[in-house]
Amino acid sequence: MSKQIVIIGDSAAGVSAVDAIRKKDKESKIVVLSDENFPSYCRCVISDFLAGKVTEDKLIYRSNEFFKENNVELKLSTKAIKVDPKKNRVVAEDISDNKAEDKKARSAKLQFDYDALLLATGASPKFPDLKGIQKKGVFGFRTIQDTKDILQFVTMADTACVLGGGLIGLKAAYGLKKRGLDVKVIIRSPNVLSQVTDKTSAELIQKRLSENGIEILTGRDVSEILGNGDIKAVKLDNNKVIACQIVIAAKGVRPNTEIISETEIKVNEGICVDEYMKTNIPNIYAAGDVAETFDVTLNKPSVNALWPHAVDQGKISGANISGDSIKYDGSLGMNSVEFFDLPLVSMGIYKESQNHETLSKIYNNDYKKVVIEGNRLVGAVLVGNINHSGVFLKLIRDKIDISQIKDRLLNENFGFADIRDLIKEEERIYVK
Amino acid sequence: MKKIYFDVEKCLGCRSCELACAVSHSAAKELEKMISDKDKSLPRIKINFSKDKNYPMSCRHCKDPKCVSACMAGAISKDEKTGQILYDEKKCVGCWMCVMVCPYGAIRPNKKVKIPVRCDLCTDIGEPQCVKACPVKAIVYFEESELEKVKSKK
Repeated sequence: MSKQIVIIGDSAAGVSAVDAIRKKDKESKIVVLSDENFPSYCRCVISDFLAGKVTEDKLIYRSNEFFKENNVELKLSTKAIKVDPKKNRVVAEDISDNKAEDKKARSAKLQFDYDALLLATGASPKFPDLKGIQKKGVFGFRTIQDTKDILQFVTMADTACVLGGGLIGLKAAYGLKKRGLDVKVIIRSPNVLSQVTDKTSAELIQKRLSENGIEILTGRDVSEILGNGDIKAVKLDNNKVIACQIVIAAKGVRPNTEIISETEIKVNEGICVDEYMKTNIPNIYAAGDVAETFDVTLNKPSVNALWPHAVDQGKISGANISGDSIKYDGSLGMNSVEFFDLPLVSMGIYKESQNHETLSKIYNNDYKKVVIEGNRLVGAVLVGNINHSGVFLKLIRDKIDISQIKDRLLNENFGFADIRDLIKEEERIYVK
Repeated sequence: MKKIYFDVEKCLGCRSCELACAVSHSAAKELEKMISDKDKSLPRIKINFSKDKNYPMSCRHCKDPKCVSACMAGAISKDEKTGQILYDEKKCVGCWMCVMVCPYGAIRPNKKVKIPVRCDLCTDIGEPQCVKACPVKAIVYFEESELEKVKSKK
C-alpha cells in the first residue's frame, strides 16, 4: 500500500531510513526535510574540514543524486517548526537565504501531511548562559555552516578559546590549532573528556594535546565574554582575562525536541522510543541524536548521540515504517578518536565504582582497561594500541560470560580467537 | 559471492599469507623491492594465535556489516549486488570507528598513513594472494552457496 512518509532530518538516521524503506517499498512517497542548506554530509568530519585536512566536497555523505535515485523529495533549507499528530501534519518554513529578507515569503508556512513520520531532528549545541554569549565570534561547532563561519574569522584571529573539553571541544581545538591559532581549552572538570572516558586515558590525551601546543585550563569556567560587538577576551571565574577573537561553545548538545513540545509525544532527555524505535504515537518514530534508547551497559534509557547508532536506528525505523517488526538491540556510549597520533577507544562504563571490577595495565602510552560486572564485560578503554577493540564491543553487546577468559582480557594480542568458543551464532568462516 | 574460508586444523601459523598479502598490497609489489617502500605495506590478514590453534583473521564481508554503519565518513559501503564490503580510501579520515566496531578484530589501523587495513579480496588482481600462498591449503576461496557442501564433506 502506498503511503506518504515524512522524515525530518537528512543526516545519518534520515538517510539510512530512506535506504531501508526503499529496500522494501518503491512506491510510497518520501519527503525529507532539512533545515540546512547542504546535501547530506558527514557531520563528524567537520573538524577535519576546519583543520584544512579535507575539502568541502569530501564531506558529502549522500549527494542529491542519492535522493533522486531513491525517488525522494529532498527539501533543503526547510525548517520543521511544528508537528500536529492529530492532523498527521508537519508545518515547516522556508529558511533559504533569498527568503530570509522577505518576511512575507518566510511567514508562508509549508505543510506536509504524513501517514508515517520519522523524527530525525538531531541535536544542537548548548550555549552557556553567559554575559556576552551573543557576541560576534561565538560559535557552536555542529554544522558545515558553523565551520564556514569559524573559518571566516580564523584569518583575522590569533587566539581562540574553546569552552568545554568534550569530544566536540577537543576536535574544534585540534582544527583551530592546525590552522595556526593559539588555542586554549577551558574546562570545568578536572580533566578533558570526562563524559567520554576515564581519568587515566584522559590524562594521556590531555598530555598529548598540551605537547602539541593546545593549552588546557582545567577546573576553570568562563564568567563573561568581553568586547564591544566583536569578542576581545574571555573572563575566567578567577577574574583572569584571556584575549581572544574566537570562542567555541562546546558544552555538549541537546536533542532537538522543540517541534514536538506541544504534542503528547513523550520526551525525557530525548524522545522516548520503544524497541521498535516507535514513540508513544503509533505512526511516529524517532531515531538518531534526538532519540532516547535503551542503553545496554547502563541498563536504562539514555541518549547516545553517536553516528553508528543513528545509522542503525534509522535503518530499523525505516524498515518498521515499511511493515517490518525489527527490534533495536540497544545503544551504548562508544567513541573512537585520535589526537596527534594517539588513538583512544572508549566504550560502555569506564568509571570505577563499587559495583564493578576493573582490570587495567599501562605501559608508556599504551593503556588498556576493562570494566566487569559479575561475569560480563560492561566497559573497555584502549589508548595507543586499539587493535581488536571491536572484540570487546562484541563481548559487551552479546553479554557473553567472560569468566573463562578474564585472565586474558588484558593480553596484548587478545582477540577473536580467544572468544570464539563463547560465541552463540554459528561459525561460518572457519570451516573446520 | 566468493569468500575466503579457513581450515583451522590445517593452519600451521607460518604467516605466509600475511607476507603474500603485504607484498601484493605494497607499492613495489615485490618482496625485495617492498623493503625500501616509504610507507610499509601491512598485511590485511593476520593470524590470531590462540592456546592450541591458529586462526587466520581477515574481513568476512559480513551480511550485516557493523563497519558500514559506523563509518562516519561514508568511506565504507556494501555492494548490494556482490555482497562485498567496499572501501574508498579517498573519503576515509582515519577515525578508527570501523576498528572499534568490527567484532572480529579484522580491521586494523595503519597508524602511519591513517587508513584502516582491511581485506579487499585482492579484487584488482582477481584472486586473493593469501589463498595462493598458503603451503598447506588451509585458506580456501569459494562461493558462499557451496559452504554447506564443503562443511558436510568434512
